[in-house]
Amino acid sequence: MTSTLGRVVNFPVRDTASRAGAAVSRAAADVGASVTRFTDEQTGLVDDWGRDPGLVRTMITASRLRWDVTVGGDQRLPRRKGALIVVNARAFALAPIYAALALSEVVDRPVRFVGRPDTAPVGAFVRRIGGLLDHPDEVAGALAAGQLVIMGAAHNERLRKVGRVDHALVGGALAAGVQVFPAATSSSPIGRAARLEIGPASKAPRRRRGPLSELELADQLARDIEMLLSELGNIRTGTPIDWLPIGGAGGA
Amino acid sequence: MVMGGKRVFVSGVGGELGTTIAGLLESETWVGELSGIDADPPRHRLHRTVFHRIHPDEHDRIVDTVARFNPHVLVHVGVWEPDARAAPSAAATLTDQAATSILGAAAECSALEHVVVRSGIEIYGRGRGALTRPSESAPIAPTSDWGRTVAAIEHTAARVGERVGVTVGAVRLAPLGRLLRQPGVPFSVLADPPFAVIEDRDAARAIVAAARVGLAEPVNVVAAGAITALQAARRGGRIPIPLVGPDWRVARALSFLLGAPIPDHVSEALHRGRLADNGRMRELLGVMPEHGTVDVIDRLYHWPSIIHQPARVQVA
Repeated sequence: MTSTLGRVVNFPVRDTASRAGAAVSRAAADVGASVTRFTDEQTGLVDDWGRDPGLVRTMITASRLRWDVTVGGDQRLPRRKGALIVVNARAFALAPIYAALALSEVVDRPVRFVGRPDTAPVGAFVRRIGGLLDHPDEVAGALAAGQLVIMGAAHNERLRKVGRVDHALVGGALAAGVQVFPAATSSSPIGRAARLEIGPASKAPRRRRGPLSELELADQLARDIEMLLSELGNIRTGTPIDWLPIGGAGGA
Repeated sequence: MVMGGKRVFVSGVGGELGTTIAGLLESETWVGELSGIDADPPRHRLHRTVFHRIHPDEHDRIVDTVARFNPHVLVHVGVWEPDARAAPSAAATLTDQAATSILGAAAECSALEHVVVRSGIEIYGRGRGALTRPSESAPIAPTSDWGRTVAAIEHTAARVGERVGVTVGAVRLAPLGRLLRQPGVPFSVLADPPFAVIEDRDAARAIVAAARVGLAEPVNVVAAGAITALQAARRGGRIPIPLVGPDWRVARALSFLLGAPIPDHVSEALHRGRLADNGRMRELLGVMPEHGTVDVIDRLYHWPSIIHQPARVQVA
């Protein structure tokens, strides 16, 4: 028997009624998710994805030693439904992690982030603080269950430029039928000040029936994040470097 | 699909789950005649169910019994979990024999309309990069003996369904955790991953609902929430035993010698976790588990160990 034996199991195609039922089920899951408030979560237990609220609170407290995050635009996020938030990322800045921790507090909901490794002990620890695997089905599952998920774009060494946004993960959001928000992050390697600014939900330029929709939406997200980054203004490091006409530290 | 006076056949009616299912089916209005089969007698008293005690390797008697009953609905829960009622190799053989005989016999029945099989979320496997909470559409890649066994049952049932043109539903149950009852509970120091369970009665209700609605696809049946082995041990006042690397081999051997073997799917759950997305349960079955994972674990620890019943009449 091969390990893929079960793949040959064929079940009848779902009919229209079951599709409608699926929509109702998703809506019910959304409502259920809204009940989970970050401040009400029980400690000493893990949630459906293995996130440990007690450890997350400890991490939030510890993260304040490193980052002082100002969050803006959170009012744009849905109060009950799931949403995917795409942020720009810089090497070693841990933008999705500090953004998720800061946003959890502001919106009073658990916020997860994409990008946990699947090896112990690092992967196990990252799962405890809300990490999800970098897999479209994993992201789609969390979004369909009404969760807020943050994912990072690929690194780009040029300031105010956003790397590639993984269109497969964006496709997960489309499959789950949730909105996708661009967000700009800014932090400094030498200072505590950091910022997360969430923009209005991105929309693909055209309606497509196939996978082009996720590709175009991913490109649009990168453009929207770049726009948000330019709106953040010039970089402030708090050092004489700020007087120079170039930015070599901090920023996006 | 609403049915009336249907003949329902339950395989594996002697197990805890099978007996509970038969008990629930007895109170269903759409069920007419009820019959069951197993190698062991039912755990509780059943009023309407006609029980046949037949060993899984008695193919002719099984075929004769099932064909004579000519069921409309077959509920196949006649599976042997490794190290529960039989050693892993014997469990796999018995499960395969039962599945082949019973599903094969049902395929010969002219009245057959629907088949429900018991499966497990072990079917998704926990290989590197496996989804944390796989939904029913996740690829099937079992990585344990039990996972491969339930995949084979689903495969056989689906083939029978295709050949005779009946609907087949697979109820993929979360583990019914018992290992945690031991005085010392091993846990992985490096991972201590989360897992979910399902209470016996919730599992039975889901299977009965699958039979009632004519489930025609797989569905994950998992209690809400999750827990880790360390958290469970703490809740139950058990001694958590931290293990890493080769310690697990020693612990498994020791546990085996003490009469509580740890099968590979349980060991896998303790290393890699075992969760599943139950988001479609209400849509497909119309029921949700009454107990969350933490509830189930708490109830597990509240089982009395031994109940001493004094004789009503002292005769000596």
